[in-house]
Amino acid sequence: MSIRNNAPHKQTRKLSWDKAYTRELFRRYRLNADEAARDELITMYLNLVKYLASRFRNRGEPVDDLVQVGTIGLIKAIDRFDIERQVEFTTYATPTIVGELKRYFRDKGWAIKVPRRLQELSFKVNQAVDALTQKLQRSPTIAEIGEYLGVTSEEVLEAMETSEAYNFVSLETDRGGDGGDSFSILEYVGKDDALMAVVEDRTTLSAAVGKLTPQEQRVLYLRFFEGLTQTEIANQLNISQMQVSRLLRRTLKVLRENIVRD
Amino acid sequence: MAIDRITLTVPAKSEYAKTVRMTAAALVSRMGMNFDDVDDVRMAAEEAFVYAVDTLPEDAEVRFEFSVSDDELKIDVPLGSEDPSSDEEADRRAAYATFILESVCDSYGFESDEDGAHLRLTKRVGGADVD
Repeated sequence: MSIRNNAPHKQTRKLSWDKAYTRELFRRYRLNADEAARDELITMYLNLVKYLASRFRNRGEPVDDLVQVGTIGLIKAIDRFDIERQVEFTTYATPTIVGELKRYFRDKGWAIKVPRRLQELSFKVNQAVDALTQKLQRSPTIAEIGEYLGVTSEEVLEAMETSEAYNFVSLETDRGGDGGDSFSILEYVGKDDALMAVVEDRTTLSAAVGKLTPQEQRVLYLRFFEGLTQTEIANQLNISQMQVSRLLRRTLKVLRENIVRD
Repeated sequence: MAIDRITLTVPAKSEYAKTVRMTAAALVSRMGMNFDDVDDVRMAAEEAFVYAVDTLPEDAEVRFEFSVSDDELKIDVPLGSEDPSSDEEADRRAAYATFILESVCDSYGFESDEDGAHLRLTKRVGGADVD
């Protein structure tokens, strides 16, 4: 009954979020076990779920499914949120929603779809690229990597894809390097540095670039503005070539999802 | 020199990005491209795919034509005319595609002929990135 009664109300509330009203809803739900208030909160923050879910798209899962998974996280967050704590609900809910999405990919995208053999091979390819780059003083061919590991080129390519499947799971864990597991992309919005100035004439990019971590910005800058190869960037930043590759791909996804909104 | 043509047609759905990426990667790894360049090709193919999908209706297909010779890969993707978004949105998309493609390809272009618009790009073995 609560849902039906609430429906017209939802429409108007969805458009105009206000802090005091949100607190009132939480109070009603917490103190009076008012289910209608809970439903309204869920609707109110559905856009946050949609936004976060959209950051995981192009990964082979329908966005609708991701929104559903994210909504589970939202409901958990609403149920656990402590109204006495002086923290914005969005700040509290975001890691919970992202956590739910990551768990979904971990269960579905990684543990189930990727056989153990490939997980291991992916790791070995990573090491082989570094070893061969050292030895040959250039980026190795796929055939050379395969020969080094005693596998076919196709297996090397499959392993390259696999390393991305893995990357999706760890999407946020090393973001910025200091925030632990917390989702902090919103903190990066508006952060400015030298790269922003360079990007200024490509104005459509500047807002999106602000959403990257300093390390991602650096890799992006070196690759696309300085024109360095992945190998050169790896040497300069003292990380592996595979890490550069992952950083780049993640960076491009973040950019694309922020520039090409649907 | 001989040119092999490979055509791949997939539904215009994002879950086929992997199929496109892997096909492109498989073709250039046979040509002896190095790890860096193979990764560039994967990016380029994916960007081209995503770009094309945005121009096509939902139930459409994306057709990739790969032309492989000894020293280069060419990709030709017909684009649709669908543009549900504003001009501003289209500009943003084009700016982004341009940004990526000019970084990972040796050449690319949006070209129109009698059967509509195409995105065409080229990646050479030991191309732009190698000094």
